[in-house]
Amino acid sequence: MSGDAFLAVEGLHAGYGDARVLHGVDLTVGRGEICAILGPNGAGKTTLLRALSGMIRVRGDVRLDGTGLARRSPDALARQGVAHVPEGRGTFMPLTVEENLRLGAFVRRGRGAVGADLDRVCAYFPVLRTRLKQVAGSLSGGEQQMLAIGRALMLRPRLLLLDEPSLGLAPLVTEELFRIVRAVNEEERTTVVVVEQNAHLALGVAQQAHVLESGRIVLSGSAERIRADEQVARSYLGYRV
Amino acid sequence: MVGFLQQVVEGLGAGAIYASLALALVLIYQFTGIVNFAQGELAMFSAYIAWQFTAAGLPFWPALVLTLAVSFAGGMLIERVVIRPVEGAPELTVVIVTVGLFIFVNAAAGWIWSFLIKDFPNPFPGGALEAGGLSVGYSTLGVMAVVAVVMGLLYLLFQRTKVGLGMRAVAANPTSARLVGIRVGWTLALGWGLAATVGAVSGVLVAPLLFLEPNMMGGVLIYAFAAATLGGFDSPGGAVVGGLVVGVAETLAGAYVDVIGSDLKVGVPLIIILCILLLRPQGLFGRAAVERA
Repeated sequence: MSGDAFLAVEGLHAGYGDARVLHGVDLTVGRGEICAILGPNGAGKTTLLRALSGMIRVRGDVRLDGTGLARRSPDALARQGVAHVPEGRGTFMPLTVEENLRLGAFVRRGRGAVGADLDRVCAYFPVLRTRLKQVAGSLSGGEQQMLAIGRALMLRPRLLLLDEPSLGLAPLVTEELFRIVRAVNEEERTTVVVVEQNAHLALGVAQQAHVLESGRIVLSGSAERIRADEQVARSYLGYRV
Repeated sequence: MVGFLQQVVEGLGAGAIYASLALALVLIYQFTGIVNFAQGELAMFSAYIAWQFTAAGLPFWPALVLTLAVSFAGGMLIERVVIRPVEGAPELTVVIVTVGLFIFVNAAAGWIWSFLIKDFPNPFPGGALEAGGLSVGYSTLGVMAVVAVVMGLLYLLFQRTKVGLGMRAVAANPTSARLVGIRVGWTLALGWGLAATVGAVSGVLVAPLLFLEPNMMGGVLIYAFAAATLGGFDSPGGAVVGGLVVGVAETLAGAYVDVIGSDLKVGVPLIIILCILLLRPQGLFGRAAVERA
């Protein structure tokens, strides 16, 4: 399994100062897959994404398509094609929507290709096209989340990390977002790791899922299997199947 | 009336110089949240470098270009060596470091070039432009033109280039900037380099008007602080407007308010700082720090 994994994480430890959050996480994600990371509050889901994008120091091994990524800086990882939509969306508030999107392609060369990708992203999120010249801070929460995902897509990422896209959004907006993530994944074969409180939604788009608890993976499997697992349903998903 | 306009024009000339130093302060504040108390001394040091080049026989304009290049490199170096270690430290620590830098640069200039005043060549012709009873010195016009060119170039850099976009991104959200692949550390150093360059312009412009000596920027720094406070510490455009307003206010107060005269002129920026902090702490064009509950 790990032989053909696109993203392979082994024995990943990470934390903040003395507070250790991840205690040896192992997981693999296949090329072009959507992988959901589920788990209760404080399990270390956000920390796992931060570790994968280089925002915090880690111990252990992270490989993307065979290239070691552990202990590299976030800007170096962006150049490797890792796009992270962070908790809180990371909007450049005083800049315009278009500038926010162009920043997503900051490490890429070639004006023409970037311009074409601006069109492509606006095709996924038509509302952004109507707001290109507007200051990003004036967007609604849902629009800012779309902008954050759009900005990540501007990198043409090999690996897209999404942190709680549903946070603070109306259910309809969230469903729309997940539908788009699914479309991007299908059309561009982008590998996605999504951390989500709303397990029902995440399992609806993911092929694989891992359940994280207290900094360890306690359960892994296909999204269908995780959904069918009664114990998981009770403990983490908040409903009975 | 003509006399009044004459004073306004003189004020704008002085204000252009305050504006350029205020702009240097704002540039650094925007990127790092640091108020650089040493900005004036760095400008003074740059003026000495320019003097050294001209003393070695170089004509003024090539000397200026060389000085700006040296100042840019020096600003970046200072960020890397002196500021980097205290990045993210409590504000007081950083303030003390920049005050230390102030004293160090001041003493270094005195040690290298002595505290005796030097004559600095004025790059602009003497004489004055006469129009409608007004007489505007070519050197005042020259100062305003140079400052306008610098502002224009900065505007183009920030609004029209990819490097400028990256710099604005770092100022807006450093964490997110890092995630899109911007080398934030180098961008901060670039900000210090730019600030040192803009400050150097003010130092080189002020030197022929005053005399070149290590303490010459002390007063100008206070005016620049007033300008940045007035315009808003996070607004480059505001700093420029603030500089011009402070220059005009200072000149008019000196000319028309008998109590103030030329001796108490330096009190004017302090009164401006006080009033702004009391009435509108974020400055005219700055954004108030608001956090959502």
